[in-house]
Amino acid sequence: MEPEPAVLESLRNAVAAMPDDVPLRLHLAELLLRAGQRDEAVRHLGAVLQRDPGNAQALGMLTAPAPAAGQHPPAPAASVSPERSAPSADTPASSPAVPDAPAASPSDGDDDDPVPAADDLAGEYDWSQAENELSDVLPAMFVDDAGSTSAGIEEARAYDAERAGITLADVAGLTEVKQRLEAAFLAPMRNPELRKLYGKSLRGGLLLYGPPGCGKTFVARAVAGEIGARFITVSFADLIDMFVGRSERNIHELFQVARRNAPCVLFLDEVDAIGQKRSQLRNTPMRSAVNQLLLELDDVANDNTGVFVLAATNHPWDVDSALRRPGRFDRTLLVLPPDGPAREAVFRYHLRERPVGGIDLAKLSKITDGYSGADIAHICESAAERALLDSVRRGEPRLIGQADLEASVAEVKPSLGTWFDTARNVALFANEGGAYDDLVAYLRKRRLI
Amino acid sequence: MTELRQELARAATMLDLGRYDEASGLLARVVAAEPGSSRAWCLFARAHLGADRYQEAVEAANRAATLEPTEEWPHRLASNALMHLGSHAEALRAASESRRLAPAYWQTHVCVAQAALAASQPTQAAAAAAEARRLAPNEPDVHFLSGKVALARGDLEGAREHQERALALDPAHSGAMNELGRIRLRRHDTAGAIRHFISAARATPGEHIYSRNIDVVILRTVSRMIYVFVLIALLLLWVPPVAHLDNFPFVLGFGLLALGMLAAFAVMVLRLPREARRLVRRTLRTRRVATALAVAIGGVAVAFAAVAFVPADELPQTLPVAIIITIGARMTATARLRSTAARTHAGGGAGRNQPGPSARR
Repeated sequence: MEPEPAVLESLRNAVAAMPDDVPLRLHLAELLLRAGQRDEAVRHLGAVLQRDPGNAQALGMLTAPAPAAGQHPPAPAASVSPERSAPSADTPASSPAVPDAPAASPSDGDDDDPVPAADDLAGEYDWSQAENELSDVLPAMFVDDAGSTSAGIEEARAYDAERAGITLADVAGLTEVKQRLEAAFLAPMRNPELRKLYGKSLRGGLLLYGPPGCGKTFVARAVAGEIGARFITVSFADLIDMFVGRSERNIHELFQVARRNAPCVLFLDEVDAIGQKRSQLRNTPMRSAVNQLLLELDDVANDNTGVFVLAATNHPWDVDSALRRPGRFDRTLLVLPPDGPAREAVFRYHLRERPVGGIDLAKLSKITDGYSGADIAHICESAAERALLDSVRRGEPRLIGQADLEASVAEVKPSLGTWFDTARNVALFANEGGAYDDLVAYLRKRRLI
Repeated sequence: MTELRQELARAATMLDLGRYDEASGLLARVVAAEPGSSRAWCLFARAHLGADRYQEAVEAANRAATLEPTEEWPHRLASNALMHLGSHAEALRAASESRRLAPAYWQTHVCVAQAALAASQPTQAAAAAAEARRLAPNEPDVHFLSGKVALARGDLEGAREHQERALALDPAHSGAMNELGRIRLRRHDTAGAIRHFISAARATPGEHIYSRNIDVVILRTVSRMIYVFVLIALLLLWVPPVAHLDNFPFVLGFGLLALGMLAAFAVMVLRLPREARRLVRRTLRTRRVATALAVAIGGVAVAFAAVAFVPADELPQTLPVAIIITIGARMTATARLRSTAARTHAGGGAGRNQPGPSARR
């Protein structure tokens, strides 16, 4: 039900008299959204966020999507009446006006119940119902959405997510990578009987390589999730710490932890740091670290089952060739820049918690061919910054639009040029034994060689 | 104190791995917390050097030198950064100071040799390189630098021996491979030069100067081919007025010239390794090179057509125009090729994507 214009007017006057009253502004914004006066509502929500940057209710109202044009969702069954949610004279200014329990809440009828703290109220607040209520006043986040944003966000976990328990199904796009992973690593692992029949051993690890910021770490996590194993990740900083102490003992302990936690995926990120060509290493502890790593890898192959060593590097050509012999990292997998669906998912992921409207993901995906996932994150960041500055300049907040994102794409250049220059050298001069055939094929396809 | 030592060890490891930005971040915090640590400032200078921030490197090295005036390393670092900034006289002064402080340390002599070479003082560079060789006869970088000094002095044979010695000591020394390519180039052995550049690029694919050197050699070859083609065309243009030939033998002569040039180029390309042939194909397909070739061939063809198809009595007026067109075509084509090659030249590389040996401790 639309609020009376007179009510809106009196609330406007109240807000003008008390501009710092956050609950009052929130209430007015909600009524304005309900009345279809989106621009004014967004301005008030912006003012709320200026005073209380983390205000969940304001953020919720700003980011809640509306159905595509022409769709009119049914009126919410349990909407909060203005009278019910308006702050009373004796309500402290800090108590939220709107996030009271909905009318159907069991506590409504019981006035003796203690008033929950604001945090508690927030915990009980029915966000999905609120989204439904406001869904007709804000434009759809993405132009191709059919009323739902959740599917895309699920896919978007392909990038930059840091949660355990993901599988390859969570990796958006990268179909070829998944197929090769399945063939090289997962299929033999999932079928022990067939493996035994064909005498296929599980010796050796898998080396993921490719340009930076393209999801190698995420793919490694997904592999761990796929085989239901624990995941131990060793980052560059961990490796540096190892070198500073007694590197051999540290590496041995790391592998011991992995063995104790079997089945376990031990993931060595930026393995070129630990396994750099010994000829390039002047530092003696680092040379001995490479030797120790070789020793541990051989131990894994001979004595331990259930420890799967995965590694990732941007520069496989800098990895000591001894590490890539059979039984060690003898299988390699090229993780390329995100393809079209993956780029869409990355955009969705990075825009999911920002106030956006009318975003054409298909077009963005098309114009960002050759960008890494990290580049796309930077584009989203840059577009948000652009909208924010514009809001400050105009004195009223606005949504991040397609134009902001396209302008950011024009500004942000793909960061993979240097990597591809080196990759081109590798493809032309250093593809001995066909180790980089998949890279050569990709470069040829993109006419880079 | 232990914590500082650990942080410095961590930073040194990052630098050894070529992670200059991470090391810079760490060292910025360290020098803020411990501004009196000369070693921290030296490492900071090395991080700046690796990240091509030369002015900052000079400043950090000077801070270290102020804190510990008897230490030679800050002067070497400053010398290295000043060389990159083009302040060769200052670089040489800083290098000489490091040598004065630690004359028994071979790296100080390498530093002097590098600075002297950059300051176009090959005799001083040769003396410093000889002293470095005496102190560290089994150090590949010393022989690598000695070879560079010899090449600068025009001693191609001496340069080759030094680079081969560097390679014997370190078979993966891509800088030495690159220098051998440059020596071949000075001997006009294009195919041999390209082979060495390819070996260097194969050993260190991350060092882009080697593949750029190959591109430069290819462009030079194309430029030379155009030069010879235009030169012969200019001579042939005089044939009709002098010999009073018909059109047919004249046009045939032009066709044979074009075919001959093409065949000569094809033979040269076929002598190259497979990887280089692929690069040649790619270079010829680039717009600038294709335009240069089209301009040269088109200009000569127009000039030939003008001379071949005008009546004999108009030849005296047509011939100068044809000659101007031919020369103009050659100049335009060469300018086009130069703009392609302008971004680079067949240069030497340290062989590793890190500051040279004189910057390391």
